[in-house]
Amino acid sequence: MSALDSIETRLVFTDEQAHLREEARRWLAARSSMEAVRSLLTDRGGDDPAAWRELGAMGWLGIVTPQAHGGAGLGAVELAVLAEETGRALLATPLLGHVLASMVIGIGGSEAQRASWLPRLASGEIRAAWAHVEPDGAWRAAETTTRLEGGRLRGAKSFVTAADSADLFCVPVAGGAHVRIILVRRDADGVRVEAEEVLDRTRRQGRLFLEDVTVESDALLERAAVEVEESLLPLAWTAIAAEAVGGADAALAMTAAYAAEREQFGKAIGSFQAIKHPLVNVLIATEQARSLVYAAACAIAQTSADAVLLSHMARAAAAEAYGFATSRAIQFHGGFGFTEECDAHLYRRRALASRSAFGGPDYHRTRVADLVLGRV
Amino acid sequence: MSDARASREELDAFRREVRHWMEANRPPDPGFVLPQSMLFVTTEEQFRYLRDWQARVYDAGFVGVEWPREYGGGGRARGHQGVVGQEMSRAGAPFLINLVGLAWAGPVILAYGTEDQKKRYIAKILRADEIWCQGFSEPSAGSDLASLRTRAVREGDQWVVNGHKVWTSLGRFADRMILLARTDPDVAKHAGISYFLSPMKIEGVDVVPLTKITGEGGFNQIFFADARFDADCLLGREGQGWEIALATLNFERGAAEGAAGGGDGYDYDVGKAIELARVVRRDGRSAIEDAGVRDRLARFATEAVAIRYSAARARTPGLVGDRPMALPLMSKVVGSEHVQRLADFGCELQGYAGTLSKGDAAAIDDGEWQRFYLNSYGFTIAGGTSEIVRNVLGEKVLGLPKTR
Repeated sequence: MSALDSIETRLVFTDEQAHLREEARRWLAARSSMEAVRSLLTDRGGDDPAAWRELGAMGWLGIVTPQAHGGAGLGAVELAVLAEETGRALLATPLLGHVLASMVIGIGGSEAQRASWLPRLASGEIRAAWAHVEPDGAWRAAETTTRLEGGRLRGAKSFVTAADSADLFCVPVAGGAHVRIILVRRDADGVRVEAEEVLDRTRRQGRLFLEDVTVESDALLERAAVEVEESLLPLAWTAIAAEAVGGADAALAMTAAYAAEREQFGKAIGSFQAIKHPLVNVLIATEQARSLVYAAACAIAQTSADAVLLSHMARAAAAEAYGFATSRAIQFHGGFGFTEECDAHLYRRRALASRSAFGGPDYHRTRVADLVLGRV
Repeated sequence: MSDARASREELDAFRREVRHWMEANRPPDPGFVLPQSMLFVTTEEQFRYLRDWQARVYDAGFVGVEWPREYGGGGRARGHQGVVGQEMSRAGAPFLINLVGLAWAGPVILAYGTEDQKKRYIAKILRADEIWCQGFSEPSAGSDLASLRTRAVREGDQWVVNGHKVWTSLGRFADRMILLARTDPDVAKHAGISYFLSPMKIEGVDVVPLTKITGEGGFNQIFFADARFDADCLLGREGQGWEIALATLNFERGAAEGAAGGGDGYDYDVGKAIELARVVRRDGRSAIEDAGVRDRLARFATEAVAIRYSAARARTPGLVGDRPMALPLMSKVVGSEHVQRLADFGCELQGYAGTLSKGDAAAIDDGEWQRFYLNSYGFTIAGGTSEIVRNVLGEKVLGLPKTR
């Protein structure tokens, strides 16, 4: 018997969830075609304010926010569906970062804090970002070096999703007994944001500098940062894995379509096993990872003890599948695949960038080993 | 087979019943080495032991649980047979020997057979009263199965068969064979094939054993020399053989549901590799403390859980995505390659002990890892090689042009 034998999560998928997928596909086809994605590319990434308003109006910005606070009150499976579809479409608008930041407040905030912020985040009136990564890449709450002393905040965070368009940052801070999370407004004195030059040009990202920022007493979230992180991370890992599976699927579909059409030596190149079999291996990796994503999402929705293990597994498998799918996408498009004009590199860049979010595959596999084999 | 799926409660109750029975009816230690699956049955005593075991499991009501009552099945809703498989595996029970009958021949007889054929064959399959084998591959028709040359010619009320089949598991013990033979050499190769339910213990059928890479037998060549059987041994129509063969392969590759039991035969799980890693040493410590070993075990664990949830997802409407056939068609190649790499890792973990073979007193786990690793090629080759299955996936699922 091993820890694997006690996994008991059941896969459940409702008609409403299937309907959400259809709705998401329709909206993404209209608002996030590859043409639309490309029109938003700048060296610093870009997003579309009109799309943002529509995401708010459809309830997707508050998809997991409780209904009492203006959200849709849905769960991990719905978020996975949405993330898979937005990943497939390479949506440039920072939906997932905003949803995760909303959850930080939802999990960590007092009732007054939740009532004050969540409705405005769910509608999209205010944009939020979880600024949890240190300039050196450390991302666990316990590692934060940003300090709050005498009501003044000093420090810096990097790799902040959509930093330059955020109105509100959730910032882990040290200084008291525990690391806490503080809400910092973009327009407060001493707050400076600098956009980063990013590899995935569909996504904005930036650095946040906090230079003697005066904070209000009600800005500290109630619960300790470590607790918030623990309860939020499995969902974050699963959502990022879902996004990766969607992206891998899109890269596979475009490559298979190209291989079925492109001819060399008088035959479609997809008839050659040198192309066909690796593409089948991409299919296998993607479908196996997708199974883990929905297992993890169901575990979270069922508040099962399996959630942590399954989300680590899903995150590791999906990141590798995405990397594999997009690497083969460039290679199998040949010379065209090496050009800017071919979409393959857009997916490849996304895969490289999303791989590191909240720990890469090695990080997650080490946790899988600890959970399954016991720690050394 | 019933199309209705059993409720959770129904299955839980059934699971308790099966578990209780398995605990109370564990077969005695045979006192000889049991084969690891039906591919490897070699001796008369192994055969008798396993046939008797299947009869007992059938008599207890756990074989053909979902098959129609009128032919000897249990008539229960979908989901029950899977419970039996899980509980047998949990109890460490021997496998069901008549796998070819239970998982391939039986389902196609139910789908394509006449009423007489169903009455004649099904109950005997379930109780292992008649053992089945498969006569598809030939020396020059392996992956290109449709090029098979074994001929069947109609003479009056009989078919007369001449030809040569290979890789026939259970050939020595079988009473019947699902046999593909060419009945019309003048049409396109796929169109000229018919599907027979051939008797084995008749004049003109000669069984010659082959030795496998493990040194074991269990594998045979079958020679047909003017073998004659009655016309009613034809399944479906003359010329319909290729269609029924593909249906059979879907069952064989796990791409279609409906087996009456048997298990997948490669019951080597990550748990066993973890136990092995705890026992063997690296640099004076348990190998399970080694970072490289841990990473590989974590990969195998992740794959195993993905395989388990892929099987569950394939049965979950709404979660099969845009490619409903992808998961069923890939299950054989994913499962067989996973256990093959796992068994290889099990050999590697042992270090020098991995050089020992079954039979050496010092061999770890009695040399079963090495034996299983060699045997695992049976899974990646039989029923369509991994390469052929990848062609099928590329063509049927990804829409790529045929490989020629």
